[in-house]
Amino acid sequence: MGKKLRWRLLVILLVLLGAVGGYVLIGYQHAQKEWTGPGGPTFKDALKKGIKLGLDLRGGIHLVLQVKTADAVKAERDDAVETLKNETKDANLGPVELPTDTTFIVGVTEKTDQAKVEDVAKRFLPDWTYSTGGGRWTFALKDVARRALEDSAVSQAVETIRNRIDEFGVSEPLIAREGSDRILVQLPGIDDPKRVKDLIKNTAFLELSLVEAGPSTQAALVGKYPGGKVPDELKLLEGKPLPGERERTYYIVRRQAVITGRDLKNARPTQNQMGAHSINFFLTATGSQKFGAATGANIGRHLAIVLDNKVQSAPNIKDRITEQGVIEGSFSPEEANDLALVLRAGALPAGLTYLEERTVGPSLGLDSIRKGVTASVVGAVLVFVAVVVYYRRAGWNAVLALILNAILLLSAMALFEATLTLPGIAGFILTIGMAVDSNVLIFERIREELRGGRAPRAAIENGFAKAWSTIIDTHATIIISALFLFQFGTGPVKGFAVTLIIGLVISMFTAVFVSHTIFELEYGRRSHIDTISI
Amino acid sequence: MEFFRQTNIDFLKYRWWAIGASWALILVGLFTIFVQKGLKFGIDFSGGTAITLRFADRPDIDRLRTFLDSAQLGEVGIQRYEEAEKNEVLVRVQQQAHEGRDVVAEVLRALRQGLQGPTDPNKIDLNTEGRATLAARLTAADPDHLVGRTDVTPADTYAQAAERIIARRSELGLFRTPADVASTAGVSDGIKAWMQANTAAGPFVLLSAENVGPQVGRDLQKKAILAVVWSSIGMLTYIALRFRSVPFGLGAIVATVHDLLITIGLLALFGREFNLIVVAALLTLVGYSVNDTVVVYDRVRENLKTPKKEPLYSVINRSINQTLSRTVLTSGATMLVVIALFFLGGEVLNTFALTLMIGIIVGTYSSIYVAAAIVVIWKDFQSGRKLAVVPAAAPVPAPVKPAPAAPTGPIVPSAAPRPSGKKKQRRR
Repeated sequence: MGKKLRWRLLVILLVLLGAVGGYVLIGYQHAQKEWTGPGGPTFKDALKKGIKLGLDLRGGIHLVLQVKTADAVKAERDDAVETLKNETKDANLGPVELPTDTTFIVGVTEKTDQAKVEDVAKRFLPDWTYSTGGGRWTFALKDVARRALEDSAVSQAVETIRNRIDEFGVSEPLIAREGSDRILVQLPGIDDPKRVKDLIKNTAFLELSLVEAGPSTQAALVGKYPGGKVPDELKLLEGKPLPGERERTYYIVRRQAVITGRDLKNARPTQNQMGAHSINFFLTATGSQKFGAATGANIGRHLAIVLDNKVQSAPNIKDRITEQGVIEGSFSPEEANDLALVLRAGALPAGLTYLEERTVGPSLGLDSIRKGVTASVVGAVLVFVAVVVYYRRAGWNAVLALILNAILLLSAMALFEATLTLPGIAGFILTIGMAVDSNVLIFERIREELRGGRAPRAAIENGFAKAWSTIIDTHATIIISALFLFQFGTGPVKGFAVTLIIGLVISMFTAVFVSHTIFELEYGRRSHIDTISI
Repeated sequence: MEFFRQTNIDFLKYRWWAIGASWALILVGLFTIFVQKGLKFGIDFSGGTAITLRFADRPDIDRLRTFLDSAQLGEVGIQRYEEAEKNEVLVRVQQQAHEGRDVVAEVLRALRQGLQGPTDPNKIDLNTEGRATLAARLTAADPDHLVGRTDVTPADTYAQAAERIIARRSELGLFRTPADVASTAGVSDGIKAWMQANTAAGPFVLLSAENVGPQVGRDLQKKAILAVVWSSIGMLTYIALRFRSVPFGLGAIVATVHDLLITIGLLALFGREFNLIVVAALLTLVGYSVNDTVVVYDRVRENLKTPKKEPLYSVINRSINQTLSRTVLTSGATMLVVIALFFLGGEVLNTFALTLMIGIIVGTYSSIYVAAAIVVIWKDFQSGRKLAVVPAAAPVPAPVKPAPAAPTGPIVPSAAPRPSGKKKQRRR
């Protein structure tokens, strides 16, 4: 055995050992993390858990949500209007108009103290530009401030959803921001789309606002105002339908919320002495201040708990509330628990819409795995048989290289923490089909060299050498297309691209280096070879 | 064993016939797409809802349709899914005009009500509820009286039981009656009794549900097109750099477009649906087709280097013959795999496999009759018009790149790319 050959064998052995060892180690880590029972994971568990399965195989929920950033901007505008009004109480402001989400117009009359308006705008509204003329002041939100608001609305939404999902107890959830206003949520192993959606949905825009009128019918409420138009500082909201009642109820609440989800620190379900379920909530320092002032001044009035622009309930303010309070109502234990969750995780500064929802049940995933694996095994066996029949001994060489390719591919996927999806399984088996290409290119070259009258050993050397540049070209082209697929693909398709890329890179090693070594091992020792079985 | 021993087939003789055949196929495809049925887009691209359900008994599709019509969801399509004996159904609902409707929940409700009539609202549906709901209900009911015991955590114990029950459901396909729960191993009698009293077995299991909004659909369309366009550009750039020749690059481009057009056209003809996975297959086939073309081109380039006066026509013919064995074998091996996927891979991978089946055949054919033929036709055209050859690509001899060496083998002399100008000179 030549020195070079020994070195080559050592490399192959080390790679194989590293791959198998790495796979088992990672498998143990994964299995350990998920292990709940007594003892520890077995070797079999480690083998099963090495590769992360995608949602389509494992079952789970995939959601893409969009944050309605305009909500946050509107809230900021309403806040600014309120601040201006509060700070200029004696300045005799004219009527306020709200032409767009980022602007508002304050009318002035002869009595208006314009110097005061300017002073307040300078001191309290640094994010707004203002101009005067034509008997009015026009305020516009600065672009920088708007962007910052939108950005923080999305980050806060991500954080909030994360908190909620954590409460739900999912292993390995993925909650990530995508683009400017989208959020990707992936919950492997969860098969309860309704419950998850309820939880996330309720993670809606939460406001606590004072009730001006209601509950009543829409017509009765609107009819109170001249021309049937609800003034700008108030808004008409739909109430949660009461059980057993068909008629919808409505409320008129103040547009300016007393506090929003941002001001809440914590909330938990409790039971009073009578056994009724209620929710205990705690406020932040600034929240306490605002809430204390508002509740103190409005004892006896109703406070609407507004989620997603729907009034959930409108409890009576019994006393001045600062740091903590209790929401009582006719809650079932589940409702109390869920409402507490909503409050605890903090409601969102802006609403959400669902852009995409995909759920895969547990039985479909199992079915897909079974089918994918069957197809792969059958496909691989067909290829092996074809290659051995066609190339005889050299065919076995190729089969060895392909099996090694499959082992390395699996462990590479485990090492890179790549996710295996159903199209990924297809990619896996397709890689086997394509990896054969390199062997075929080489073997055909060797045959050609033999036909050309070259001695067997020279034929092998030349065959490998001449096929090399073609192998580079063929691999490069497919890897290029797979790279773009990875770049633009989503979910399962990305899994396909990853499997294909890794598989092709590995096949360069197995088809060329490993196959060459096997040939050497077979023929290199003999001083003279008459024929090769190819 | 050898299929092709030093063949000497005059492939290029039939090039005009081949071009005619290609055009015929392309036109059939275009006719199908633009005149007849158009492309059928899956919800990935068109938006909408797709739900797969498994029923206890063979579902009556027409009956299901009447139930869904009453739900007023707009256009609804219902078809069988997978093998008939599995009783699986795919329900498709068009994109809703109103945002915020939970189409999946509405479909399930309409079907359940239609099939079962009024049900006891207090009983949980064993077949559609998930693990977490079941666990929560069990914990709340506490049939094993675990609350107050110090040795166990009730929530964890019930969660484990719920997991076992759902796993059992997956094994069985679905629960026909609540009594089926009794066959779950490792679940206490107390839980079984509680399940018997408080659950009902609905008529179907939800296998999967997908809901794609119009915005995402548009985004995915854009991404898919970008992926195909960019990967084609990427590969062609690679070929242009590697072969430094206009007709070669042109041949590869035309062959790629040719393969895509024919494959897409045939998919439309077979009424197959376009989704993300099919786009992945299309991209793979682009890679595969270029791969095949490159093998032939590599050989042509190598053969052009031998200092022999041989017309390009016969050089290309010889190259095709030399690589024929490899072409057929590799295509055959990949085809075996794809056939296995087609028959055994299940519904999701079926169109994927079909796309690749068409693609492999067309891609193999096009590397001979499109990519190679175009090089010949281009040269014929040039010499026919007696143009003074101004090599459009690489007029200055490019620096000769050292070929990447095989791990231990000698540097391969044949792999060094040559400027294309040289080839053209010989041709004159």
